[in-house]
Amino acid sequence: MKRKSMLWLFAMILVLSAFLAACGGGGSDDASESDSGDSNKDGEKATEESGEPQKGGTLTYGLDATPEGLYNWAFYGIATDAEIIGFFDEGLIEYDENLQPIPNLAEWETEDNQHFTFKFKEGVKWHNGEELTVNDWVFALETIADPDYDGPRYANVETIEGAPAFRAGEADSISGLKVVDDYTIEVTFDEPRLNNLTNIWSYPMSQKEFEGIEVADMSGSEQVRTKPVGLGPFKVENIVPGESIELVKNEDYWNGEVNLDKVIIRVIDNTATVGALQNGDIDMISLQPVSAPDVEKLDNVEVVTAPGLSYYYVGFKLGKFDNDKKEIVEELPKYQDLNLRKAMAHAINREEWIDAFFFGYGKPVNKPVPTAHWIAADDSEVNVYEYDPEKAKKLLDEAGFVDTNDDGFREDPNGEEFVVKFSHYSTGNPTFESRSQAIAQYWEEVGLKSEVEMVEVNLYYDMVEKDDPSIETFFGGWGTGTDPDPSALWKADQLWNYPRYNNPDADALLEKALNVEEVGDDQDKRAQVYAEWQKTVTEDVPMIFIAELDEIMGVGEKVGGFSMDVSGYNNPAEWYLNQ
Amino acid sequence: MLKYTLRRILGMIPMLFLVSIVVFFLAKAMPGDSLSGEIDPTNTNPEYIAEMREKLGYNDPVYVQYYRWVTDFMSGDFGKSTRYKMPVAELIGEKLPNTIFLALTSLLITYVLAFAMGMYSGRKPYTVGDNLIAGFNYAGIAIPSFVAGVFAVYFFAFKLNWFPFAGSVDIEIDKGTIDYWMSRIHHVMLPAFVLGMFSTASYTQFLRNDLIENSRKDFVRTALAKGTPLGKIYNVHILRNSIIPLVTFLGFDIAALVGGAIITEKIFTYPGIGLLFLDSVNNRDYPTVMAITMMLSAMVLIGNLIADILYGIVDPRIRLG
Repeated sequence: MKRKSMLWLFAMILVLSAFLAACGGGGSDDASESDSGDSNKDGEKATEESGEPQKGGTLTYGLDATPEGLYNWAFYGIATDAEIIGFFDEGLIEYDENLQPIPNLAEWETEDNQHFTFKFKEGVKWHNGEELTVNDWVFALETIADPDYDGPRYANVETIEGAPAFRAGEADSISGLKVVDDYTIEVTFDEPRLNNLTNIWSYPMSQKEFEGIEVADMSGSEQVRTKPVGLGPFKVENIVPGESIELVKNEDYWNGEVNLDKVIIRVIDNTATVGALQNGDIDMISLQPVSAPDVEKLDNVEVVTAPGLSYYYVGFKLGKFDNDKKEIVEELPKYQDLNLRKAMAHAINREEWIDAFFFGYGKPVNKPVPTAHWIAADDSEVNVYEYDPEKAKKLLDEAGFVDTNDDGFREDPNGEEFVVKFSHYSTGNPTFESRSQAIAQYWEEVGLKSEVEMVEVNLYYDMVEKDDPSIETFFGGWGTGTDPDPSALWKADQLWNYPRYNNPDADALLEKALNVEEVGDDQDKRAQVYAEWQKTVTEDVPMIFIAELDEIMGVGEKVGGFSMDVSGYNNPAEWYLNQ
Repeated sequence: MLKYTLRRILGMIPMLFLVSIVVFFLAKAMPGDSLSGEIDPTNTNPEYIAEMREKLGYNDPVYVQYYRWVTDFMSGDFGKSTRYKMPVAELIGEKLPNTIFLALTSLLITYVLAFAMGMYSGRKPYTVGDNLIAGFNYAGIAIPSFVAGVFAVYFFAFKLNWFPFAGSVDIEIDKGTIDYWMSRIHHVMLPAFVLGMFSTASYTQFLRNDLIENSRKDFVRTALAKGTPLGKIYNVHILRNSIIPLVTFLGFDIAALVGGAIITEKIFTYPGIGLLFLDSVNNRDYPTVMAITMMLSAMVLIGNLIADILYGIVDPRIRLG
């Protein structure tokens, strides 16, 4: 009996090992295929222009995060929801590949950047059959300005004359909005600004659809959650919460005919991304850098990239901010030495770091604006801190950071032990710890003793925001919108100026760039002012700018008519399927 | 029996109250709050975040917040999810059917497999079949569900194309038709099997061991001597005794039924309570976290009560009182 069971155990082990070997074999097959399969990495257009776009077909679009289900521009909170809304609704203004506003549902005129006249297109219909009028826009703006509104968009309405009074309940309507007729409206802002147009909320809401619903109940209403209507190329047919959305062609779409009959949006777990693309279960999905190399190996999927609008940095805490007084009240001495900050910037090998942790889907950034943005200065106009450990060492020597007690690390100019403390957020992503260790390692190589501290992500930004003493140098990332004004992240009176960067010259430049009288309508002149500002910032090194990442899409070979640039992808109405 | 049940139910109230205190303060002790994830200059500004914190009462002392929550909860208002911006009761109502469907399917698979395999193994211990089943059981116990889930997706969904890899239903099929339910069953099979694998394995082993143990008891020998057919001895006399330990599990299964399977639901993107719970913890969605925890605590207590009552029914020797 005993021997028999041993035999069985042995047999089981054999079976199991055969099973495991089969898995391993499958993996290596995939790898060898990849070498022969050519994948297009940097093409902006995913598709070969093979004649006329075909009509019909169902495209499956994947999402690797769960939507919250707030399918309205005014109420959504996360990018996943916005990705979905983009299929069935659109705004008055669009942005071209240079991030300049272009008319979409409305055209505008202005003389002084304070008074605008918007003219809506006639005959544009909501999915419920109602015609779009300026009243729908007024309705959206008044909803957002309502004291019961629970979304984050009030900042985009605030600058309209009379909006604060409306919000405080002192007025029944926003005085800056004057409806001329159903298709014309005059908007007055509280003061002339160059970014009034790009800042204003440009998405109408169907007034008819929300009739009788209190503002406080809107975000939970079925008009937002399960039966949203829009103006876009597809209509929402059916929603299975948290899982999938069925969209059908909008026959009455105002802007040309829609090629596809149907779009199915499916939420999938990111472990399934590669398999689902390979099997054709999904035709398109936005990819994480970590899965992009695997997708490139697939023969039936192309990886399309476009420059993104976010950047990563390592910041220095240079001061303390008082949120009640809205000013920087104290200077922190540890990193005040400019040569120290410059040396720490020169010490980091950014190319190597990006290749290791973002698989090459990014590049070093040298200024506080992503390169693809039109206000970004040329690298020749700013101070660039290339990887140069020798220079870093020399700068440290000059600044008085030398090793006085032969422990292999430098002491500060007073001969005290000097330890750089570097904080990074942790989310359970295992690469975060190694990528922050890598940065600390670069600093150690030039003789600065460095310590890494991983902080739970929710606590992390809280600590950074409150200038917690344990935060000295910190990793972070910012996104830039289409509106180029970086004031909210850089002026000395802003809470989100995390390094507590305080240079009145830089602040003056930021104000100048928005000043109508000084800059006028001249975009080049405005870009020039921003370039000057970027030069000032890079001279002061309140942050070491690390990387800007690409937006990556996996697109199945059947999909045609898709293109992507810095402003996002093209109108889904133009997409088609080759059958 | 009724008196016993009532007494037990009354006893749950202080228990739930204590649970609510512990969970609420633990939830509040988690770093950050539901707004710390919203820091994004392209989307909002610090004023909005400060204003929302005030509106949601996050600036009040924790005990004030607790009092507010507990009084609302008692009056049936579970609050509004800070992330989904809809009443928590509706939110849970939306996900609960999926979870229950998954759990029932998984329970069904578990019980059918466990009984079949356990009975076979118990009657024919140390045979080829028993050893094969034991091999399967040890694999089932040893392989964690997140590994099993990913492998199942890879083999059965992507390689063999037998099952869909994600979701709970094909959205293109009209609700309420036969096809709709077939699609739902088709979608639930794979996650249900992965979810049930661990308990199938342990139930089978329990049942097998108990059958073997009972088959050596005196009453079996007596029955054999009397000339009772072997099949009857196993199916009636032994099985009834061997079911008792399994009944204990049923109580826990009821809690698992609504608790969902966090990992399985995540891997199969199956929108149920488990996935919702995970998201709410990550986003510090306190009202949702609290409502789900309270529901789970109540279910665990009720499940235990049911298990105790069932004991009395299955085994007349145990008297409740």
